[in-house]
Amino acid sequence: MIRLLTATFGLLLVTQPAAAVISTGTDAEAELPYWEVVEHGVSIRLVQRLPDQTRGFFQARGFSIADSELVAQSCMFQTVIKNVAPPSDQKVIEYNLDEWVVHAAGAQRRMKTREDWQKEWTARRAPKAAQLAFEWGLIPTRQTYRPGDYNWGLSVFNLAPGTPFDLDVVWHQGGERRSARLKGVVCAPDIQVSPAPQ
Amino acid sequence: MKTLTRSFLRCTILLSWFVLCAAQAAGYDTAQTLPPLPKPFAAPDFTLQGEDGKTYRLSDYRGKVVVLNFWATWCPPCRYEMPSMERAHKKVQGEKIVLLAIDVGESEDRVFEFTGQYPVTFPLLLDTEGAIIKKYPVIGLPTTFVIDPRGMVTHRAIGSREWDDERLLVQLRKLLKP
Repeated sequence: MIRLLTATFGLLLVTQPAAAVISTGTDAEAELPYWEVVEHGVSIRLVQRLPDQTRGFFQARGFSIADSELVAQSCMFQTVIKNVAPPSDQKVIEYNLDEWVVHAAGAQRRMKTREDWQKEWTARRAPKAAQLAFEWGLIPTRQTYRPGDYNWGLSVFNLAPGTPFDLDVVWHQGGERRSARLKGVVCAPDIQVSPAPQ
Repeated sequence: MKTLTRSFLRCTILLSWFVLCAAQAAGYDTAQTLPPLPKPFAAPDFTLQGEDGKTYRLSDYRGKVVVLNFWATWCPPCRYEMPSMERAHKKVQGEKIVLLAIDVGESEDRVFEFTGQYPVTFPLLLDTEGAIIKKYPVIGLPTTFVIDPRGMVTHRAIGSREWDDERLLVQLRKLLKP
């Protein structure tokens, strides 16, 4: 009986990290599809973003029509990465988008990050204010979060509107590399709503 | 004896389940954290124009606790936390705690327009060229630093917080005590 009790207490007191829970649905705020991975202390959510939203956002920040069109056609998602561990955990989460892998049409590719875009905007001579908004609007390429920390930013997958893809998300927690695959993610289609005929 | 063992096991499982659920629930309440920096550093000084037309210099606030927030009007979490910063500002009036929010890369007009929707009475500074944000270890918006009365950056919060939460205010007030 003592063995049984010891085993029971052991089972209950030793908390194992939960397996990654992957979900999809409609984001309540954006009213657009989302894909999310939640694991012990980590939450990563991608919410679709319509190309028209992207056009409007970047044109309002000083980008030319051609430049905003380039971004709008690049498959942009709103991305939220959080350290949701309780403060007592003291667990630090780190990630580097260069480790994330996009699987589309039988090929693998990496995401298009702040650094890639910075080169592109410099070459295209985008206005300084527009470049600043773009830089800070994108999810950081690398970041470290302590409990309670999070970022909310745009991520770019460099795929055509409507393209389906899988995404391997990678993060490091307590020195351990962890990953999960978000399957069947879809870039938002390019729907341009016209006014109804009178 | 068997019955006693079963009852004990049931109680243990039930109790542990309750504890685990409570811990998990507490896990969601993680936003109100203000983690101390492992290595505090001297706050880089700056002089910036405010949206109110006044000039602000960080070193003028030496002897006070400064909550220094980097934000932009287009950033949703920045907008979420702005009302709580305003409430915190009102709560700490008369104490040696000040809030400064630095808008990154936007015009005075854009920030003025924002204050029409989000009334703010603490200084909103304009880092139009994005020069000041580069002096601080900011990777994403919003990021907020806490600067102690000696001018040392001691805490950093990445992402929004409820700044009028008493747990955060207690941490700020602690910095005023020598």
